[in-house]
Amino acid sequence: MLSLDFLDDVRRMNKRQLYYQVLNFGMIVSSALMIWKGLMVVTGSESPIVVVLSGSMEPAFHRGDLLFLTNRVEDPIRVGEIVVFRIEGREIPIVHRVLKIHEKQNGHIKFLTKGDNNAVDDRGLYKQGQHWLEKKDVVGRARGFVPYIGIVTILMNDYPKFKYAVLFLLGLFVLVHRE
Amino acid sequence: MAAAGQGGRSGGGGGSSGAGGGSSCGTGSGRSGLLDKWKIDDKPVKIDKWDGSAVKNSLDDSAKKVLLEKYKYVENFGLIDGRLTICTISCFFAIVALIWDYMHPFPESKPVLALCVISYPLFILSMFVCFPLNLIRTYFVMMGILTIYTSYKEKSIFLVAHRKDPTGMDPDDIWQLSSSLKRFDDKYTLKLTFISGRTKQQREAEFTRSIAKFFDHSGTLVMDAYEPEISRLHDSLATERKIK
Repeated sequence: MLSLDFLDDVRRMNKRQLYYQVLNFGMIVSSALMIWKGLMVVTGSESPIVVVLSGSMEPAFHRGDLLFLTNRVEDPIRVGEIVVFRIEGREIPIVHRVLKIHEKQNGHIKFLTKGDNNAVDDRGLYKQGQHWLEKKDVVGRARGFVPYIGIVTILMNDYPKFKYAVLFLLGLFVLVHRE
Repeated sequence: MAAAGQGGRSGGGGGSSGAGGGSSCGTGSGRSGLLDKWKIDDKPVKIDKWDGSAVKNSLDDSAKKVLLEKYKYVENFGLIDGRLTICTISCFFAIVALIWDYMHPFPESKPVLALCVISYPLFILSMFVCFPLNLIRTYFVMMGILTIYTSYKEKSIFLVAHRKDPTGMDPDDIWQLSSSLKRFDDKYTLKLTFISGRTKQQREAEFTRSIAKFFDHSGTLVMDAYEPEISRLHDSLATERKIK
C-alpha cells in the first residue's frame, strides 16, 4: 500500500475537521463565484471580463489581452468606440470598433462594426441577411485592458487537459492542506 | 529471550514492533482492518518542520489529545459547530445565487418569497425586485460576520472541554485551550483557561516555548517533551482550585 505522507494530516482528522476542509474548499469556490456575479451586477454586462482571441484589433489589442467591459443602459454607443458583441447563433464574442450608426428618435440604434486590422467591415461575419447590429447583441463596451494576461485562458481552452489538471491539483491542495 | 532482545534493540523502530504484534493477534478483524489502516492515531506525528501552520496545527492537536485522553474531559463542540453552520449557510447562499441566475428568465415572484422565508433566519431583511443584488450583498455580509466571529469571539480558541462534576450537582467546569504562533516565528504560546462551574470565576495559565523544544530534526513531534508541559500547565490551575 502506498504511504503518501501528505495524506497523514487528513487521516488524523476527525469528522468535523474533514467537513471543515470540504467547507473550506466550498467557501473558496463560492467566493470566486460571488465575486464574478457581483461584477456582473455592477457592470451590467453578462461577461464583464473577456480575452481577445484574434489579432483583428491590432495595434490596439493583441491576442491574449484581457478586457474589462461595462454595459450600462445610460451610456450610448457612439462611433469610434470598441464594443464586444455576440452574433446570433454563435457563442464566441467579437471585439471590434463601431464604424457607422443609424439612430432613431426613440433611441433605437443600428450600427456597423469593423476590426482595426481587417480590410473590410464585419458584414461578412453577421448572420445571413443581417446587415446591422443592435443593442441587444452587445455584451459590453471596453473600458480598460490588461495586456498578455489572457494568454493563460487561451492556453487552458486550447488544452483542456491542462485546465482540468490545474483545477484538480488546486482542489486537492485546498482539501488536504489545513488552513 | 531472543524476541525480547530484539524488541529492546529496536528503540527507534517502535512503530514496526507494534505493527508486528498487531498482525499476529488481529486475525478476526477483516472489515474494520481497512478503517484501522486509514486512521493513524497512534503513529507519531511527523510534519514538515518549516511549515508554520502545520507545526501549529500539530501542537494544537497534541495538546487537545493530552487533555481529552489523559484527563478524560469531554469536548464541547458548540464553538466549532457555530463556525461550521455559518460557513454552510454562506455556501448555500452562493449555490442558490448560481441556480437563480441560471433560471433568471423565468417568472420570479414565488421563488423570491419562498427564498425569503428559508434563507434569512439570521437577518430580518425583506427582498425586493432587484433580487440578485440583495443576494450578493447578503453573501458579503455573511463573510464579514464570519470574520468578526473568528477574530473576536473565538480568540483562537481551539478546544472547549468540560469536566463532569463527580457529584453531579454542580455545573461543569470548563477548560479552554487557545494558542498562537506568529508567522516565521518559532515561539509558540499555549494558554489554558479554567472557568469554574460553581463560582464562574476564570483562571488562566500559559507558557511560551520555542517549537524547537518539541520537534526533532526530522519534524517528528516528541510527545515526551510536550506532554509534561501540558500537564504542568493543567496541574498549576487544578491545584489552585483545591487550595481555594
